[in-house]
Amino acid sequence: MSTTATTAAAAASARPRLRWGVPAYVVFVAAAIVLAIVVPKTGYVFNISLQATTYAIAVLGLTIVLGLCGQINLAQAAFFGLGAYAVGLGQTEHGLNFWVCLLIGSGLAALFGALLGASTLRLGGHYLAMVTISFQQILTLVLINWIPVTKGPDGVRAIPRPAFFADGSSYLALCIAVLGGLGYLVWHLRDTRLGRAMRAVRDNELAAGVAGIDVYRTKVTAFALSAVLGGIGGGLFAGGFAYVSPDQFSFAESVVFLTMVLLGGVASPIGAVIGTGLLILIPEWLRFLKSIPGLYLAIYGAAVILIVLFMPDGIWGFVRGQFDRFKRATAPSASGDALQLSGGGVGTDTVLEVRKLSKHFGGLKAVDEVDLTIKRGGVHALIGPNGSGKTTTLNVLSGLYKATSGTIMLNGQDITSLPPHVRTKAGLGRTFQNIRLWRSMTALENVMVGAERPGSPVGNDPASVVARARAALAFVDLEHRADEVVAGFSYGHQRAVEIARALASDPALLLLDEPGAGLNSSEKVELRNLLKRISAHGLTILIIDHDMTLVSEVAQHITVLNFGRRIADGHSADVLKHPDVIAAYLGTAPDVAA
Amino acid sequence: MLMTRRGFTTALAGTVAAPALIRTAFAQAATVKIGMVMPMTGAAAESGSFAQTGARIALEQVNKAGGVLGKPIELIFEDDQTTNPGAVLAFSKLASQPDIVAFLGSIRSTQMHAMAPDMLKAGKPVGFGGTDPNLTKLNNPWLFRFRPNDSYSGRVIAQYGSKELGKKKWAIVHSTDAFGTAGAKALTDSLPENGATLALDQGYANQSQDFTPVVLAVRQSGADILGTYFTFETDLGIFARQLRQLGVTIPWVGSPSIVNVSALKLAGPALYNTYGVADYAEDSSDASRAFGKVYREVRKVAPDNQSSWTFDAVTCLALAMNKAGSTEPGKVREAMLAIRGHKGAEGEYNFDKNGDGLHGYNIVKNEKGDIKFDKRLDFTPNLG
Amino acid sequence: MDLALQLLFTGIGIGSVYALVALGFVLIFRATNVVNFAQGEFSMLAAFLMVVFSVKVGLPYWLAFIVALMGMALLGAVFNLAVYYPLRHRTYLPVIISTIGASIFLANTTLAIHGPEPEVLSGWFDTPGFLLGPVYLDSQYLLIIAVTAILVALQYWFFEHTLLGKKLQATSQDKEMASLLGIPVATMIMVTFVYSAVIGGIAGILVAPVLFVSIGMGAAIALKAFAATIIGGFGDVTGAIIGGLALGVIETFGAAYISVPYKDGFAFLVLIAFLIFRPQGIFGERVAEKA
Repeated sequence: MSTTATTAAAAASARPRLRWGVPAYVVFVAAAIVLAIVVPKTGYVFNISLQATTYAIAVLGLTIVLGLCGQINLAQAAFFGLGAYAVGLGQTEHGLNFWVCLLIGSGLAALFGALLGASTLRLGGHYLAMVTISFQQILTLVLINWIPVTKGPDGVRAIPRPAFFADGSSYLALCIAVLGGLGYLVWHLRDTRLGRAMRAVRDNELAAGVAGIDVYRTKVTAFALSAVLGGIGGGLFAGGFAYVSPDQFSFAESVVFLTMVLLGGVASPIGAVIGTGLLILIPEWLRFLKSIPGLYLAIYGAAVILIVLFMPDGIWGFVRGQFDRFKRATAPSASGDALQLSGGGVGTDTVLEVRKLSKHFGGLKAVDEVDLTIKRGGVHALIGPNGSGKTTTLNVLSGLYKATSGTIMLNGQDITSLPPHVRTKAGLGRTFQNIRLWRSMTALENVMVGAERPGSPVGNDPASVVARARAALAFVDLEHRADEVVAGFSYGHQRAVEIARALASDPALLLLDEPGAGLNSSEKVELRNLLKRISAHGLTILIIDHDMTLVSEVAQHITVLNFGRRIADGHSADVLKHPDVIAAYLGTAPDVAA
Repeated sequence: MLMTRRGFTTALAGTVAAPALIRTAFAQAATVKIGMVMPMTGAAAESGSFAQTGARIALEQVNKAGGVLGKPIELIFEDDQTTNPGAVLAFSKLASQPDIVAFLGSIRSTQMHAMAPDMLKAGKPVGFGGTDPNLTKLNNPWLFRFRPNDSYSGRVIAQYGSKELGKKKWAIVHSTDAFGTAGAKALTDSLPENGATLALDQGYANQSQDFTPVVLAVRQSGADILGTYFTFETDLGIFARQLRQLGVTIPWVGSPSIVNVSALKLAGPALYNTYGVADYAEDSSDASRAFGKVYREVRKVAPDNQSSWTFDAVTCLALAMNKAGSTEPGKVREAMLAIRGHKGAEGEYNFDKNGDGLHGYNIVKNEKGDIKFDKRLDFTPNLG
Repeated sequence: MDLALQLLFTGIGIGSVYALVALGFVLIFRATNVVNFAQGEFSMLAAFLMVVFSVKVGLPYWLAFIVALMGMALLGAVFNLAVYYPLRHRTYLPVIISTIGASIFLANTTLAIHGPEPEVLSGWFDTPGFLLGPVYLDSQYLLIIAVTAILVALQYWFFEHTLLGKKLQATSQDKEMASLLGIPVATMIMVTFVYSAVIGGIAGILVAPVLFVSIGMGAAIALKAFAATIIGGFGDVTGAIIGGLALGVIETFGAAYISVPYKDGFAFLVLIAFLIFRPQGIFGERVAEKA
């Protein structure tokens, strides 16, 4: 058997950078550490290096929350401050060991980060911006005013460094080592299951939920991780500079952190380090501007706008873009195994049992007491004119909408009130009418997320996840494009990747929302063949489509909706002849927008 | 939106002041260099420019009188951006230039605390203006203060209000920043020895838009005299106006900001008839008048403590180096500690062993916008 | 009782300031779905322009007012072209950051040109205020309250009863549909930015006599106004007004009866409470169920 060999090759080709990247990285970090120890420095160079290093750790946190997960955090300085105060107060006031304090500080940061995230991440966007600002402001007020605990505006003085690192050079080396280690972890985070989940959430939250990702938990995790890095950076900062006071951790600093990560590029820890370094060094280079108060910061502000306008991926993103232009296309990799589809295993004859399902929007009954029974192993179509409630039904089935009443049983399990990702775990897979792929990820990565859903047959083993994802891509004839970013795919290919993603999760029931929409005639032929192949593997399909030819060719069973109610149900041939159905399609039914 | 000057910083950290351009190559060996950390950007940029002027006036006078050890002195400025990390970087930038023989630190106490470890490391005399009493108790032999510390301002406000004005029931309003908190504490501590009591201790956060609740608290407290420690002039201006609008007319003795130029401009009549402690009062001595005259010629506005302390610091450092006959830090330090009865713009300098040069305050009165010197209260220092 | 009345007046006065600035936020948010972090700088700049034209150049107060607002209209247009328009097809994140950059730029350009010293601007009235029974009424605050009320009424009339207003509304609700209907969307967004800069400018000029004119004056107010906008429900004019007034009153009473130093924290605590328990705001943008 060549399974092991092919999966190993597959795993390797998923991350081609690592072959030369890791040794280069280790050499680079080691060199920086040696330099920090060996090269004699003035106090000025030392202070600048220390500030850049500790700030960069906090900025790495933003790489996670902003770069990977796409959530804004305007309170990184607050988390930085929590770490700094923990190290400062813990040592000077409570006589704790430096490392214990650092642990407490990052723990506190994680706690607050998770709380903050948990309370508002459901909202996102500008709300999150505001809440993080609020947290930042409140923390500043507390640091200033809770004098018995924080020592108030005077700040904390004479903060010691840990044993063995008391002298400047060794402490700086320590900080660089920490930065190097954490940078390595963040670098590799993107290719872990959690990292892929974060990127999926960033690119398309809805699709992430439906693909089995716990969106909420993923965001909270990203936020907490980001806060922890802020806390570690702050703790090291406090030890380095021996003094902390509330005004060092103000909202303005949070904006500085944000600008640093944007300038360098949110996508990579290297960007974080570049951005931090530049924003600390640039003022030094531009110091001649400072004879006029405000001029320098005015230029700085203008630069922020220009970066956003002209270098959206930051400096590192820009540089990488130049490299990528010359990169050879990766050779098509060896074919993997055939895709195994269990069809949800053996069980009762009925896969999905829907009873009296209703969904009301205000007074509008979009779905009204619909019954639906789907037998195992066939293709079941749900049809109806525009506005008849098909897509709403699908959205209720997959958990994007909450049912107003009724029950949904999947494989005998009541999933009526479960969130989307838990339904996926229970065996539901779906695609969307307007394709929802994670556009900045490769085809393989998209499908891997499907393959590694909770409860997936391949478990957590990276090699088997890759193998299964490749098999799923091979199933839809796209294995040769596995390592390409899907944003560049044709509509038909994107549709195929979306189906592959659902197949990779080995669902018991596959929901297809108008898979034929937007496809040209040859793509439709391919789609029809694909559906037949899937069906031949014993997987049950529920399909919505307007294309009656497609429906009549692939579906054995049809349910018809009109105005939210079921008007017909039965074998395809019978249903299509049903007078009510003909009336609904040809007759006087008004064309209500969905 | 929140990031105006104040604070935008840290990261931008900094330095400033075009020293690289000012410093010309040929001047390197020919001058005695004094490094100065001061705000050129950020919330305190305005006072920074005053401080710079004060130091420059001293520089010219010293150089006209023959300089230090036969060489002219030269000032190297670095911007602290009005933040602590900015100050740390600015100072370490200066400290890394070996030909700088002495420094001027900050007028802000938290910045001094932040820079203190590096100042100890640098091992050269630092003149500073921060008034937190603890700064000269850090066992740091290199710190010399050119303003009276807050324990004196508190004592002077308490003594003047209770003894001279005869009011015993105090309301204290103060900023919750380091300066305001320390000042209010010193004032509170000095009340009992003057037979006075505390009716209200009210802190506020800097840059408030409204002081109605604070004013009403003062009115409700039944206090017959008000002592204040304000940091920002805009806050002081809003407070003063609302105080008058809501009918509070009790005597008011404030910390130095109450007589500073911007505050007078902003608050106008609302500050008439108030008293302030001022480390600098133009009519308090001949030396003060002389400095005031030059300053008015240069800046076209009235001088205040932002500029007088840097003037005194540069003058004293030059004096000490000339007396020591050397710029060697240890010798300059000894000469600084030996200064007795030096008449500076701020008052008479007698350095105690901690490095505090001044030991009293002037009381001034705002008479229709003119600041009139009232009297000077000095305490006997322990010069042991 | 007297005390409470005095606090109520002050609270409503300062709340009107928040409300006025919040109005600018809401307009831009409705048109573009973007939070403009430089809104506070609009107010600050207008106040400085007013000082320049009224105090330094010596124009009559009303003329200086008009000239300053014309300056703001121009700024609004330039702001749109430089900061928002090129990014209109990107997500909210780059736009937020670009407005933050603009905020830094505007504040510090003013600092570089004018210098850091705060300025005094006289009010519309010669009398600073008067006593009504036990309550002192600051005439400038009375003016602010009146102007806020008038602007809200005008705005209501404008959006509901004029063609331009209706076009603006259509644009804010669905840009694609609006453009299919032949509404020049780009022009509508331009109008919104100009109008919003002018509103922010009016707010700045009105508060200047009370808070003085300083570089940082806009930032602190804008943050509170932003909070008011969220409490009111993003994109809801009435909500923003009520949110602003509520914040002003809560802050003033909180400072009087709970703690002065933590005053600025009340606004944010209220905000967080709202976001957790009633994220749609008082009246409510729908945030849930956007599938």
